[in-house]
Amino acid sequence: MAGLLTIILALGAVGLFLALPGGQARAVRAGQIGLAASGVGLLAATLGWLFPWPGANFFAGCALVALFAAVRVITHPRPVYSALYFVLLILAAAALLVQMQAEFLAAALVIVYAGAILVTYVFVIMLAQQARPLVHDIRSHEPLLGCLAGFLLLWSIAVRLFAAPVPPAVPAADLPAAGTVAAVGTSLLTTYVIAMQLAGLLLLAALVGAIAIARRRPLRDPLLEGEE
Amino acid sequence: MLGAYVLLGAVLFVLGLVGFVVRRNLIIMFLCTEMMFQGIIINLVAFGRYPLAGAPSFDGQVFALFLIAVAASEAALALALVVLLFRHRRTLDANALTLLRDE
Amino acid sequence: MIASATFSVLSPAAYATLPFWPLLGAVLAGVLIMLRARPQHAHWPVVLGVALSAALAVTLFVDLGQNAEVTGSTSVTESPSLSGRGQGEGESGDPTAALELGRRASSGFSHTLYGWISLGEKISLQNRQWLSVSFHFDGLTGMMLLFVTVVSLIIVVYSIGYMRDHHGVPERGYERFFAFLGLFVFSMCMLVMAGNFVLLYLGWELVGLCSYLLIGFDYHRPAAAAAAKKAFIVNRIGDFGFAVGIFALYYFLSGCAGPGENPLDYAVVFKYAPHLADADSGFLGMSQATLVSLLLLCGAVGKSAQFPLYVWLPDAMEGPTPVSALIHAATMVTAGIYMVARCTPIFELSAGALDVILTLGVIGAVLTATMALAQYDMKRILAYSTISQLAFMFVGLGCRVPDSAVFHVFTHAWFKALLFLGAGSVMHAMGGVIDVRRFSGLRHVLPWTCGTMWVGCLALAGFPLLAGFWSKDEIVHAAFERHVVVGVLMLATAGLTAYYTFRMFFLCFHGKPRWPEEAGHPHESPRVMLVPLVLLALGAVLAGYLGVRFAPGRDSFLGLFQPHGFFHSYLGHSTIGHPDHGHGGLGLMYLSGAVAVGGIVLAWVRYGAAPEVDPDRKLLGGLWNLWHAKYYVDELYDDLFVRPLRNFGRLLFATDNRGVDGVLWLITGVPRGLAFALHFMQRGVLKTYALSMVLGLVLLMLLWSWMA
Repeated sequence: MAGLLTIILALGAVGLFLALPGGQARAVRAGQIGLAASGVGLLAATLGWLFPWPGANFFAGCALVALFAAVRVITHPRPVYSALYFVLLILAAAALLVQMQAEFLAAALVIVYAGAILVTYVFVIMLAQQARPLVHDIRSHEPLLGCLAGFLLLWSIAVRLFAAPVPPAVPAADLPAAGTVAAVGTSLLTTYVIAMQLAGLLLLAALVGAIAIARRRPLRDPLLEGEE
Repeated sequence: MLGAYVLLGAVLFVLGLVGFVVRRNLIIMFLCTEMMFQGIIINLVAFGRYPLAGAPSFDGQVFALFLIAVAASEAALALALVVLLFRHRRTLDANALTLLRDE
Repeated sequence: MIASATFSVLSPAAYATLPFWPLLGAVLAGVLIMLRARPQHAHWPVVLGVALSAALAVTLFVDLGQNAEVTGSTSVTESPSLSGRGQGEGESGDPTAALELGRRASSGFSHTLYGWISLGEKISLQNRQWLSVSFHFDGLTGMMLLFVTVVSLIIVVYSIGYMRDHHGVPERGYERFFAFLGLFVFSMCMLVMAGNFVLLYLGWELVGLCSYLLIGFDYHRPAAAAAAKKAFIVNRIGDFGFAVGIFALYYFLSGCAGPGENPLDYAVVFKYAPHLADADSGFLGMSQATLVSLLLLCGAVGKSAQFPLYVWLPDAMEGPTPVSALIHAATMVTAGIYMVARCTPIFELSAGALDVILTLGVIGAVLTATMALAQYDMKRILAYSTISQLAFMFVGLGCRVPDSAVFHVFTHAWFKALLFLGAGSVMHAMGGVIDVRRFSGLRHVLPWTCGTMWVGCLALAGFPLLAGFWSKDEIVHAAFERHVVVGVLMLATAGLTAYYTFRMFFLCFHGKPRWPEEAGHPHESPRVMLVPLVLLALGAVLAGYLGVRFAPGRDSFLGLFQPHGFFHSYLGHSTIGHPDHGHGGLGLMYLSGAVAVGGIVLAWVRYGAAPEVDPDRKLLGGLWNLWHAKYYVDELYDDLFVRPLRNFGRLLFATDNRGVDGVLWLITGVPRGLAFALHFMQRGVLKTYALSMVLGLVLLMLLWSWMA
């Protein structure tokens, strides 16, 4: 089992390394992306069918979409496409949340991420985007080391995960209250009410801070200008 | 089941990490942090849904909600900073920001 | 242990405030400096503070005089067990002597202000030994305080005029000067009033500090700064011995002292001092008394400018003239004599230490008297005369007549202050010139200065019936009692003193009037300077009569006055006691008077016309040059001590600079090299930092996996 996982992870890592933007020709890139995609596909399939459980097919499908989107987010040279793939990732993740009976959270995720945060990103990308891809979009920073580190990290996590004692195979019970908005809301407004207030305060502070930062006129910093 | 979700969360997290380290565009770097958040959200909800002991609860979902709030705050501030930086430097290349360099 | 005080005028607590008024004045003057007030009136706080002290000192003097009889008669009963003390006076084992010593040890009384340092819980908490800030009052204290404060007051008043130019504008640092003067008087009063050795040491060091500050008052002149340093360092040599002496005293006596008795209190030390006489100190076979005496003597030699540590005093002339007067008359140099007199119960136990004192005194007296013969600087002549007179006092101490020595301190204070202030007046008029070759005949332009100086010179020369005559005669007499050679040397020194004093006087005030161009149109000093001169002249005439008895009915003129009068009986109520003075003849009085007059007449014959060419120089030639060069002692010290030490210091500096720092450089080279090797990582690239963080995380995870 661990050997199979290692092989799959290594495949994915090599594929990722090849797929990272590095100024290659279009055809080569297509093959590389395919390699990476096959890696993540195998991974998703393994994860889905590793244990026989009713939702395995659905999970494998969603995981495939999510992993593919994630790989494309970090490999696409154009930021606006990265953002769009990120929307795809959010949708796949939301589907997984639905599978875990977290419907409210899934909705919140889509609304907040896809509806709010991503729109902000796109605005910023539009503000800052140049006409053609720049060097920092088509060149990666230390891709080999980065991929190696990622592989080792994931490998150690996976090994630990499968070496851990398997939890007793209790049949997955349904959550006490289905259609969980009311349940989550109750929990949020009773047990975690102070934390929720704090979260609200945090959002307010972030709002004020963002406005304060964005309104600031460009500094006349000689050090910054001298570096141009 | 839990293992599958947790491993998927870990993969998303590590992909975000690799992206953060490897990509040089500041916007994409922040997108990668959001991706790491996704991995963690999936993990939290999965731990809440399939606990190692005891009955399933909503605590994981509540944590995830807070995480979304934090992510939203972070995105707002980070993007404001990115805009400010871009106005100054006319670039989004993280490798161009070398003010910490000694000498 | 503490005799109950029966002061009639003021309470002991009121007398205990005595030293603090000048300090308060000094602090107020310091506040004036900080406020940047106009300095014209900066002298007032100090003058008032010293005046209050002087008033208290006079009251205390009278009060102690009335109290002395009571204490003297009652405390005889408090006689400690004394056994096996070897006194050199041939009266050891005599019960009356034991009583006498016991009475002296407990004479006077102390007033404790507060516990200062706890000396540990030797017996129990109740009997904890405390080193306290306590003041000791007895005849010696009263007498010292009297002239210290009064003469200081006169000098401070004089300074008001001296520290201004001819238009009455204060000099630079006027208020600083007065603040230091106040501090100086405070220190000296603390020294004199201290009730234990540590407080005495405190005053001792404070006096040294103040002399440093005042000698270096014109610190922008290199000579003044060097002189201040020299005074401080030379004093430090002596003070080191003094400090070790106090340690030794504590070490030797801490075994004897009973519960609650602090082995550094005067009362305790002098009570148990006889134990030191025979005990072996374990050092060169000396008795403990000898060792302690010699160590304490080191301090006295430094502070009182005795051979071989006298070299700082002539250089101290770089300070303003009132400072010289203060140092030479009222404070500083008298401290050494005071200390030895105070410790008489210890010193008289050691014949060897007394012989050392006597030898140093004789050498110093003759040596510096001859040096003074060949000087031209008016203040330097006076400085050498001071050393010579201090050596006289040492001879007195060495001949077991400490009361005569203190008497000479007392009379000397008046006329030496007078002479210095007169010299200051001359300097003031001459525009800062002090070389006697450059002016003469000043009696026409400075009549008041000339008249008072004349009185002062007569007193210093030991002219009959003036202050110096009586006290010097006692010492010469004691010297003859000790040994005839010592007596003859002392008498010869007295003659030399008369000669060089009047050589200076005639060169300065006689002959045809001329003065240097710096003087401009010289005129007499202002009244604020002349009144102190007149007061001191009165003191120079009258101070000696405190120490004689009027005995009508004698056949000859000088026989009207018998030595050892009020002064000595007053001092008897202190640790000095009543030394045996022997029976002097009237003949010695006539002889010493004749010697003094002879010296003056010789000076008149040779220098009466203030010749431009020095007759002595022609006559004596090489010897005169040797004297003029002060026996090359300064050069000798320079070659023997200063230069080797300085070279040694350079060597150490080079060792530190090259050797030690080199090793340190090597040690710091390791991290520096590491940093140089690793500094490529610190290129300020954000992504590199992020990558290293991730790599670190990976390492941790792998480590965790491997360990699990």
